[in-house]
Amino acid sequence: MKQIDRKSEVYARVLDIQRMSTEDGPGIRTTIFFKGCTLKCTWCHNPESISALPQVHWIDSRCIGCRNCLNTCPKDAIVFESTGITINRKRCDGCGQCADRCPSTAMSYLGSLWDVDALFSEAMKDRVYYEKSGGGITISGGEPTLQFYAAVKLFKQLHEAGIHTAIDTCGLYPSQSLFQLLPYTDMILYDIKEMDPNRHKKFTGHSNKTILKNLMDLSNYIANHHLQKTLWIRTPIIPNATATPENIIAIGNFLAKHLNGFVSRWDLCAFNNLCKDKYLRLGLNWSFKNAELLTEECMVELADIAKTSGVDPDLVQWSGMTQQFKIERKYAV
Amino acid sequence: MQSTESTQTTHKIKTPKNLSPRIQWLRDYYFKGVDRAWNNEFTAFTTGTPWDIQYNELTYYIVPENYSFFQAMTSSFKQTAHPVKLPAHFWKLSLPERVAWFNKQVMVNYLPQEILPGDLIAGGRFNVYTSFCLTEKQAEQRQKLLAGKHGSREQIKWFHYKGYGNCGATCGHLIPDHQKALQIGWKGIHAELNSRYQALSQSDQNSPKGKQLQAMMISATLPKELSEKYATLCNDLSLAEKNEERKTELQHMARNLQKVPWEPAETFWEAVQALWLNHMLIMSDENYPGPGVSFGRIDQYLLPYWKQSIANGMTRDFGKEILKCFWMHTNTAYDAIIRTGGNQGITSGYGQLITLSGLGKDDQDMTNDLTYILLEVIDEMSPILEPKPNIRLHQGSPDRLLDKVVDMIATSQGAPFLLNFDERSMAGMMREANKSNSLHLIHENNVYEYSPVGCLENTMVGNDRSGTVDNNLDLLKAIELTLTGGKDLLPYADPITGKQFPIKQDGCLTSNARYFTSFEQFFRAFKKQLAFIIQQCVETYEASEFIRSQFHPTPYLSCLVKGCAEKGLDITQGGAELSFTTINPIGFATTIDSLLAIKYLVFDERVCTMKELINALKANWNGFEVLQATAKYKAPKYGRDDHDADALGKKVMDIWTEEVWKHQTKSTQRQFRPGLLSWNYWVEDGYILPASPDGRPCGKFLSNAICPSTGADIYGPTANTNSVGNVLGGRTQDKNQGDWRDYKNSVPSGASHTITFNPSFLKDKTHKEKFKAFLKGYTENGGTALQINMLDPDMLRDAQKHPQDYRHLLVRITGYNAYFTSIGKELQDEVIARLMHGNS
Repeated sequence: MKQIDRKSEVYARVLDIQRMSTEDGPGIRTTIFFKGCTLKCTWCHNPESISALPQVHWIDSRCIGCRNCLNTCPKDAIVFESTGITINRKRCDGCGQCADRCPSTAMSYLGSLWDVDALFSEAMKDRVYYEKSGGGITISGGEPTLQFYAAVKLFKQLHEAGIHTAIDTCGLYPSQSLFQLLPYTDMILYDIKEMDPNRHKKFTGHSNKTILKNLMDLSNYIANHHLQKTLWIRTPIIPNATATPENIIAIGNFLAKHLNGFVSRWDLCAFNNLCKDKYLRLGLNWSFKNAELLTEECMVELADIAKTSGVDPDLVQWSGMTQQFKIERKYAV
Repeated sequence: MQSTESTQTTHKIKTPKNLSPRIQWLRDYYFKGVDRAWNNEFTAFTTGTPWDIQYNELTYYIVPENYSFFQAMTSSFKQTAHPVKLPAHFWKLSLPERVAWFNKQVMVNYLPQEILPGDLIAGGRFNVYTSFCLTEKQAEQRQKLLAGKHGSREQIKWFHYKGYGNCGATCGHLIPDHQKALQIGWKGIHAELNSRYQALSQSDQNSPKGKQLQAMMISATLPKELSEKYATLCNDLSLAEKNEERKTELQHMARNLQKVPWEPAETFWEAVQALWLNHMLIMSDENYPGPGVSFGRIDQYLLPYWKQSIANGMTRDFGKEILKCFWMHTNTAYDAIIRTGGNQGITSGYGQLITLSGLGKDDQDMTNDLTYILLEVIDEMSPILEPKPNIRLHQGSPDRLLDKVVDMIATSQGAPFLLNFDERSMAGMMREANKSNSLHLIHENNVYEYSPVGCLENTMVGNDRSGTVDNNLDLLKAIELTLTGGKDLLPYADPITGKQFPIKQDGCLTSNARYFTSFEQFFRAFKKQLAFIIQQCVETYEASEFIRSQFHPTPYLSCLVKGCAEKGLDITQGGAELSFTTINPIGFATTIDSLLAIKYLVFDERVCTMKELINALKANWNGFEVLQATAKYKAPKYGRDDHDADALGKKVMDIWTEEVWKHQTKSTQRQFRPGLLSWNYWVEDGYILPASPDGRPCGKFLSNAICPSTGADIYGPTANTNSVGNVLGGRTQDKNQGDWRDYKNSVPSGASHTITFNPSFLKDKTHKEKFKAFLKGYTENGGTALQINMLDPDMLRDAQKHPQDYRHLLVRITGYNAYFTSIGKELQDEVIARLMHGNS
């Protein structure tokens, strides 16, 4: 990752840049993951994206045991134990010196600062593939609107260059921020996780009140300004949390009632547990560490429920990993 | 899609389909291998002289694992060789005439003719080792040049065991003028040869030129005499045949064989029959099965025959049946070493390529009905090794073709074909035309007729021998010599005798690398060593090229390559109009990454001194693990679409390719040209060469062809592709400033590129569309040829064991990506289990 160029005032704290992404909107895309989120979902599969501050983590399979990191750390935050390296998160301030000195990138730095101009150049490298596939750039996170100025500058440049832009948002943002991004945004991927405000708060740390209001404001704004924007709704299907028929029906009802004609796709995304190790590396306890994947039957059933919840059944799709030896597939009518 | 059925079939092991009982039987019979009553294994024939030899080791100089068996092979074929009765005047004939006569005699009167049950194509046995037909004096001369002091054998061993690579005058790897042979028949070819001969003065008729034409005329009658034998056989079989349908087929075959390949072909069946015999006799002529003897654009030159037969009532299915028989015949090349080779002789080493689709005149796409028929045949017959299909794509390739291509990739374990990309390939051919003053032979109005041979090596058709696999040079050797000022870093040894080569000043005397104060100084010295290793390769190649040109004519093949008759020169003497030999570097990315690492470690970041780096390499990184990890993981790498890294890659590419153009063979005036194929040498030579500055220890593989080093392409397929296009030359701003329009390409022979995808990339219709778009993007940004592999459980298991080699391996689950090696063992096992059960 490139270091910040101080000449520019606008920069972004970026967790990762994923090229040839095929899952974050139409066509072939480059997805830029901004670090920092307004929600703190208990099931989050990108836990390193929650904190807005830079972090380091240690990948044991890459470590060659040189202990450069221990000797470098100015805060004595790195402990070498029989099980490997542990980072004392209370002491670590994310300075990243250990990652600089690590020869094998076992200790790696999460949240490099990117100058927006550099980010733009990086995004333009796959232009040909966007053009051939109807793809473009997706900013995701985290919550990308948290780095509002960077997002606006980047999208403005991309739009001038004729690149399709999409934002993947959790919906919790000051409502004006998305309106200001809208002129340079072609598509919004919007999460509705849970309709019950109390359960939403329990799962994510926040009520869904603002999220739902923001969504309705957004659709009104689009309607009032006669804008052409694509809106996809995404619902994570989490066992013992959002994966209930009641929740799916409630979301469906809400979409039918308030967003009829505005949504072009509703994705049910199955819970996945591949991020288990990420929690370990960040020294976090994950309440889903023992959770099983959902069955395909369960996903099919919820998708069927979604289709009868009042929305246009053609909008409903499901995807993701299901229990062993079940087929991963998209589901549509 | 969206139906469970279609998803379930997605990642299952591919099996053949839609095979008639006839083809099913032929296919099953073929795979019985050594249990077959019939096979096509090598048979040797001799003139009966005590000095006679059949096995030509020159052909195997590019197969180093054979070096230790040269003596054994030579004597074993000699011992088993059947004597051929010679006419009284035999030894009065010239060498090419003797060879032509001898081979014809063997093929027509000594090798049995057989037809398998149900087969629609005649032409069974062709794997032979025939006598060199040398006089005693010639045999002595040859032996001295080969095995004497500083002979070709000593030279090649020095070259290989000291880590330079390998090289040798090898056969095959070309596309003969099949179209002409079908259109005018051997009758027409013979008549042309005769009129050329008659036009010569008396003295010229008696000169080597006249003798060569005489030899070619003898060869030109071989197909006729052989097909007549097969016609008689078909007639005999038809008389004994009880099944009426088969009886009619055999009678039809007899009629075909009485006519072709001597007369011009008219029907599709005749054309395919003639094509097979014409092709198979090249392998007999060269005494080598299937070494990249390729067919070219069969969907173009067979199309008129296809149309004619369809119009006259041949069914589509019967046409496919003929092609499928042809398919099975190409696979019998592998019978050569059916009893002695591993896996019953079935290797993936032969490359009888067919080319489909591609550009034509005025930017027209040439995809036609026959293209789709051939794709169906490929799909229905696969998995099978031969012939190897190569599909030419370009900016205007039709969606129907791309859909079919992507569907076939999705339902196979890796694509059952290679993709060739026209614009970049044609840029390479135009570069070649300019560099070799061949603009009268390769130009705007015919460059689209190019076609690949062997694996993916681009050549022109019917007049071109480009020795596409003849020179394989370890580019990394130049780094080693730069570090040491021109000496081996460590002593090398001959693995058979165990004898060490003394360390000498082999290379250029460049300054002591320890005192370089800038990367530019290092790079200047590197350029000199690079020129040296290329010179070394050219000289080593000359030894085998000279022997071949003196003692190993192939008059039959010479009839099918334009230029040989015109010049009265055998193809082995540089007779082809376009006569090149190709240098392919091994370890391109390893070399670039080594330069990048030296720049990063010693000059930019000052992680170590040059002295420390050299000591680390001498110690094979033992005791220097931190430095090694820094070199491997912190230094920049080629393959990441990183501007600076790719710019250095391009600079090296420009320098070595320019250096190659400076050379020609002395004995045959063949122009050296650059290519980028490294077959399997990148594996073996990784054990010969010492540790390299990129962090690679001795014993680890080098990089393959133009691919980034293993594990280096951490930014995925698009970044990888862009890097490949960048180092080949990229595109120019102006439409016509490139080699071909705005495309540039420094390697005319083409660059072998492989990318491995996760099957989930192709899991449904939406994703297939995205994949199709990726291929279109490759046309714009990528290289000349792409092999698409699919992730398989074995690879993932290997990744569990060697995570350091698979840091780039991405597991993609909707909305989530993770590097395979950074997820726990338990989850890795789950991903593997899913893949094994046909899921992703």
